[in-house]
Amino acid sequence: MLNKSEPNNFSNYGGYVISDSLNLIFPNIEIKIKKVSEKVFSYVRKDAEENLSEIMIPTRSNDLHIELCPIRPINHPAKRTSYVYLDLETPIFLSEGSAATVFVRCPIEIGVFLIHDGRKDSLDWFTCDPTNSRFGLYGSPESGTLCKYSKSAIVESYDDSIPFVNAVLEINIQNELNEGYSVNKVVFPISDHSLYYKKSKAIINSVTAVLKKKLTIKILDVFPKHIQTDWTPSPTFEKTESVKRMDMGVD
Amino acid sequence: MALEWLQSLSDFEITGGLTLLSLLIGGIIMAVGVIIARTVKLLFTKYYAPKLPQDTAKNLGKLIYFGIIIISFLVFTSSTGVDLSGLLVAGGIFGIVIGFATQSVVSNLISGIFLMIEKPVKQGDSVEIFGQDISGTLLDISTFSVRIRRFDGTIIRVPNESFFTSNIRSLTSTPVRRSEVTVGIAYKEDIDGAISVIEKEIRSTMPFVLVIPKPEFRVVELADSSVNIEILVWHPREDWSEVAPNLLKVTKRALDHAGIEIPFPQRVIWKAKE
Repeated sequence: MLNKSEPNNFSNYGGYVISDSLNLIFPNIEIKIKKVSEKVFSYVRKDAEENLSEIMIPTRSNDLHIELCPIRPINHPAKRTSYVYLDLETPIFLSEGSAATVFVRCPIEIGVFLIHDGRKDSLDWFTCDPTNSRFGLYGSPESGTLCKYSKSAIVESYDDSIPFVNAVLEINIQNELNEGYSVNKVVFPISDHSLYYKKSKAIINSVTAVLKKKLTIKILDVFPKHIQTDWTPSPTFEKTESVKRMDMGVD
Repeated sequence: MALEWLQSLSDFEITGGLTLLSLLIGGIIMAVGVIIARTVKLLFTKYYAPKLPQDTAKNLGKLIYFGIIIISFLVFTSSTGVDLSGLLVAGGIFGIVIGFATQSVVSNLISGIFLMIEKPVKQGDSVEIFGQDISGTLLDISTFSVRIRRFDGTIIRVPNESFFTSNIRSLTSTPVRRSEVTVGIAYKEDIDGAISVIEKEIRSTMPFVLVIPKPEFRVVELADSSVNIEILVWHPREDWSEVAPNLLKVTKRALDHAGIEIPFPQRVIWKAKE
């Protein structure tokens, strides 16, 4: 599964073996990897504002093995939360007792992993859409939950992600209330979710959201659901931590 | 030989039934008590403390240690048959004298206990004490004082009583914080246009400013030379230093790029005809 960088086009996700040099081009981001001496490589990332980030990589072999893949969108501009707030551009109305399955776009970041001795270590990560990589607060300033915020469009299928900017997420929504409701946002801890990629597209484990009553409060109970796919799973570097699942209130 | 030596110790009476042997046994009890206390505290620190909040673990560790020491002392006094009633009477009188002399020490101790129970702030929180010009990171709450590392890197010790009775502002107990600046634009400028360019600049160049709640703009004053607009933005609590000091700079840049005038005070003087 080795890909070649295509000139005048964006590179693909996947594994790369570099013996001399390699240029990778993504929206707003350019990566140059070159051999500077025997068993030492230089990795330079340049963003749209010409900011440079350079890393020297000593290797055991003469080649450098890396993997580029989509990762969870919680590292840029800094790791502050594990929650994602998807603000649906179009609300979904569910009548009493009904259910629906929708595909929505969810932001991603891109991770660069160094492959050595059968291990994958995080070398670098970046976002191709820095102006939309922002935080939002779900709840009140005193007790709310800080989330990575994104406006989310509803799309038709898993193939509708914008390359290197977002992934497609399937949401199964059920209304167990005895009245109709509109769902206009979904908040969930993304640390429970795995990402998968194929060429320049990405998908993410789906979520099930159930509108129901907990005692006297109406909530949207959101929990992850593993998907079966032949797309390649992304490695992850974030420390696994258990994040409390939150009961979203219903507006 | 050893028995004879012990017998001689038991025969040697120091005062009111307290023999040298009972004093030796008491010493051994206290030594064993100290060893047990240290071992239990060590085991607690190693296996249970990491699962607890830092300050709770520290206080619980102290409680275990001194609790075992006190129990050892009580066993020691009961085994030696020492009558403490005389000591208590003397101690009572002595206590009154000492009490007056150490009023502030006791006050700090009691305040420390209440701080540990009430927990208005916890170790690692950023705090500000009103009226004392102290702000920084809370390092620990100990028996008599609180240590705070100020934002300039120096460490300040605040007596517990002073800390407990002060108005304490916690800067990190909520997930987000708000920062505000005020900027003035010329009377001839369009207020909505100015707000729009500032909002766009904040959105594109300040990644820590929250999208929700969105930045707020309030016209707060029609001042002598300018229309003053207050800008209020929310950000993660850890990122005050990324937002607050830069907000005014970003605002000025946005207005400069849009050619919007930030006026300086001007006074028109009319000279009366003679």
